[in-house]
Amino acid sequence: MSGHVQLRGLTVRAADGTPLVENLSLAARPGTPLVLLGETGSGKSLVLQAIMGALPPRLRRTGEVVLDGQPLPEGRARRGLWGRRIALLPQEPWLALDPTMRALAQVAEVCRLVRGMPPPASRAEAERLLRDLGLEGVARLYPFQLSGGMAQRLALAVLRAADAPLLLADEPTKGLDAERRDEAALRLRDEAGRGRTVIAVTHDIGVARILGGHLAVMLEGQVVEQGPAERLLARPAQDYTRRLVAAEPAQWPMPSAAPRRPAGEAVVAARRLGKRFQGRAVLEDVDIAVGRGETVAVLGPSGCGKTTLGDLLLGLLRPSQGEVRRLAGLAPWRFQKLYQDPPSAFAPHQSMREALRHLGRRHGLAPAVFGGLLDRLRLPPALLDRRPAELSGGELQRFALLRALALDPVFLFADEPTSRLDPITQREVALLLRELVTERDLGLLLVTHDAALARRMADRVFTIEAARLSPAGCAG
Amino acid sequence: MRRNAWRVLRPLLSRLGQAGLVALLVGCIGFALMHALPGDQAFRLAAERYGPDMVDARAAAAMRAELGLDRPLAVQLLEWLGRVLRLDLGRSLVTGEPVIEELRVQIGYTALLAGTALPLSALIGLPLGIVAGLWRGRWPDHAVLGLSVLLRAVPAYALGLALMVLLSVRLRWLPPGGFEGWAELVLPSLTLALGLAAVSSRVARESVAAVAASPVLVFARWKGLSERDAVRRHGLRNAAIPVLAVLGLQLIGLVEGILIVETLFGWPGIGHALVHAIFARDVPLVQGSALIMGLGVVLLNAAVDFACLLIDPRRGRQEA
Amino acid sequence: MSGLAFGRRHAALPRARLAGAVLLLLLLGFGLLGPWLIEADPARQDLTASLAPPGARFLLGADHLGRSMLARLAHAVRLSFLLSGLTVAAAGLLGTVLGLLAAWEGGWLDRGLSLLADTVLALPGLLLVLLVIAFAPGQILPLACGIALALWVEFFRVTRAQARSLLARPHVEAARLLGFGRAYILRHLILPELAPILLTLAGFGIGGVILTIATLSFISIGLRPPTAELGGMTSEMLPYLAEAPFQALLPSLFVALAVLACHLLAGGRPR
Repeated sequence: MSGHVQLRGLTVRAADGTPLVENLSLAARPGTPLVLLGETGSGKSLVLQAIMGALPPRLRRTGEVVLDGQPLPEGRARRGLWGRRIALLPQEPWLALDPTMRALAQVAEVCRLVRGMPPPASRAEAERLLRDLGLEGVARLYPFQLSGGMAQRLALAVLRAADAPLLLADEPTKGLDAERRDEAALRLRDEAGRGRTVIAVTHDIGVARILGGHLAVMLEGQVVEQGPAERLLARPAQDYTRRLVAAEPAQWPMPSAAPRRPAGEAVVAARRLGKRFQGRAVLEDVDIAVGRGETVAVLGPSGCGKTTLGDLLLGLLRPSQGEVRRLAGLAPWRFQKLYQDPPSAFAPHQSMREALRHLGRRHGLAPAVFGGLLDRLRLPPALLDRRPAELSGGELQRFALLRALALDPVFLFADEPTSRLDPITQREVALLLRELVTERDLGLLLVTHDAALARRMADRVFTIEAARLSPAGCAG
Repeated sequence: MRRNAWRVLRPLLSRLGQAGLVALLVGCIGFALMHALPGDQAFRLAAERYGPDMVDARAAAAMRAELGLDRPLAVQLLEWLGRVLRLDLGRSLVTGEPVIEELRVQIGYTALLAGTALPLSALIGLPLGIVAGLWRGRWPDHAVLGLSVLLRAVPAYALGLALMVLLSVRLRWLPPGGFEGWAELVLPSLTLALGLAAVSSRVARESVAAVAASPVLVFARWKGLSERDAVRRHGLRNAAIPVLAVLGLQLIGLVEGILIVETLFGWPGIGHALVHAIFARDVPLVQGSALIMGLGVVLLNAAVDFACLLIDPRRGRQEA
Repeated sequence: MSGLAFGRRHAALPRARLAGAVLLLLLLGFGLLGPWLIEADPARQDLTASLAPPGARFLLGADHLGRSMLARLAHAVRLSFLLSGLTVAAAGLLGTVLGLLAAWEGGWLDRGLSLLADTVLALPGLLLVLLVIAFAPGQILPLACGIALALWVEFFRVTRAQARSLLARPHVEAARLLGFGRAYILRHLILPELAPILLTLAGFGIGGVILTIATLSFISIGLRPPTAELGGMTSEMLPYLAEAPFQALLPSLFVALAVLACHLLAGGRPR
């Protein structure tokens, strides 16, 4: 089993000639993963499709892909290599597995139809492959009955069945939560450790860090910098790479150590709060208070009830037990929320100007209020005439902040406010939020799955485990 | 195991509930129709029970006393519904025969027509839909779409008449109507099948197009399967699921088509019987034939449910 | 690859819609202005002109009683659009209002209305229409009531499902938190999203009702002669099908054109 790959002057052009990937020359060898790191639209997935020979039909490719000293054949002949010499781990494998076929059969059919093993031997081999990946318990289940992490292991088992020396992975951690993400990255590093050549594409610098090997940073179709991952991430030479590395929450500046004011009066407080959904306890016996000018972070994996806690504090949900007390004598709209998915928090057909005009009319706000906030949030007024679909996630999140701040809030519940943003934008929006808490004397409840981000943002950090809230330890 | 039993039982119970609703709705309307008829209620009910020849004032009076027609309407309605639920459909007001007997023969004719038209529509609609789906965006797709849009706009009776003019009047290939032999089956079932194919070709097209572009088929190729194996093992079943699921909706179109086509061609089926009963204001027969057609749809839908359970493991397991 | 194919489909859509709009305008013009412009009386018989072919005196020929096809068609088209338009408007309004109520209030009201909808849906639509017509075959009111009774459910179900998912969306929750009331949410957030879907439904609805009325009149339990009705006209001419297929099938062509115009204009995916 070999699997030395060389890309020589690989270029992919759109139908009108615009280069999407430009003059790429890279090499990958067994044992050392090659990682392409870049934001959406940097052309990194096209590189994998070009190696596979599965580019969309209107795109043009020039340059060579060389596998073990031989240029790969074009067109139909390349298809003969699929599975046997080149394997591609799909993005979001739970969509790529056949929903009508049991796990074992999906692996066994590769042994039988691709490697030509007789049926009983294929089954035995498939069982062995599932066992190797810790999937022996799910052989008779269907893909929709598997978790995201298990579906990815199953897809890997399917690809291992044909035993190709070259494994390509397209965003292998898309759609997985933080813990599963690290597992998936480690598993891919294992594949390289078994002597395969692994080429992975990701937008997540944390994944690149775990995979190690050789790292190439891509921007607008070109490699801006490449080298051994460890060195490159520790001492980036190019400005873009530097900004990318600095955007990791662990690299953010800590909140100013200068004497912070003690937290003001509690704006929201809950005692012995509990919530059940259909008999299942999501939260039990939660005591929490958020004071003016402080940030409280709640940490936990997806589905642990952290959004429910915020919604209870805002009064969007009614508690099953216990009580929530909000600062007396304030209008209900001085308690606000920021959403995880910025586009869904705006009416799709309203321009920002229209939405803000309605808000101003409802609350009798002077136009100057919005003008001042636009400046403060560094939003160019030209964006006002756009609709949500025409704005980026970062811009929308700042408009969401703007409309909340216009109502002079005392409490803000931010539900994973930066998790859908590109890393560099994430840093900008999060640090802006941190400044505003002090500036406007806000109580901020921040819900996140990112421990490092929570540390950089919050005065106090809690975790939710088994429906109960507890102060987080110092790790993370 | 218990979960699997529930998987089968749940759709069954829901279809049973639907059958109950059909009986309730048809029974209520039947009851209201009976009361809306002009003339003496007791005479009509006596005629319904004993046949029109046996009715005189005495029988009517006995009827009134026995059924308590002077009782509150609600009580009478409950009793009426009770009989409908036991499938005691009474006698025709016109012939005096029990409605069940009247309908027995006609159900067979309708089943024959439907049983010919459904496979015929699949034979016409599915290949066209598959071709359109595989060549999506190109001329066969546009041609099939155009044909389907046109067919859906033409009223079924006009389609039938046009076929009649063409095939029996102009070309003299076929007799125009009635029922004497197999040749008469061709025109009505073809008319019915074309209308159904206009819809099923679209469903097949959407479903084939979706599967052809789906990550499941792409991954099957990436695994190393040949095109034939990829389509055979991962394309067909996934494409068949929506087609089968929509078959249930098609059955409603089938019933509507049957009403029209049977009347147009004088096919002695249950739809024909219903339309004539409405003319003759023969309420028990109207109620009976509507009930049988309604229950027929529920029954066929239950069969579709089971077919879906067989080929789609996601059904009833989604929350597992 | 699929992206490019989709691009072409979307480009084709407005063209189909435009064609539908033009066709609909022509038919409406014929139906609304025709009875007023054409001097011939649709009921005047002239047995000497029975089944006259199209010519100078009768532009589109005459039927078996020597009545002007042109005049009768204009009246019939007007009747079809008027009746189907009113029926769909009534059913649509009822279904939409009830659907919004069910989605907003939830609880018992929602369950009760949904059960009612399920009951109506248990029976194929045309069967329900026939049962209602059985109260008084040949009259307009039971015909319209029966169709509306079968039709409101579709508006109800679509409105309820759409409104429920819209009400659960973050932007509606955000609007509540920002202090906007029910009226604002309904007018600015729900209705604008709902309107295109309801219009599509109404377009297909009107097409469907035109078909139903013509069909029922053809089998003589909808509207009856001497009323000029598209299905009834074909039915009356049935005995002369072999001699004058043009006059017998011409009204059906108008039904098909009217339905085609509605479907094209409503656009979307054929269901």
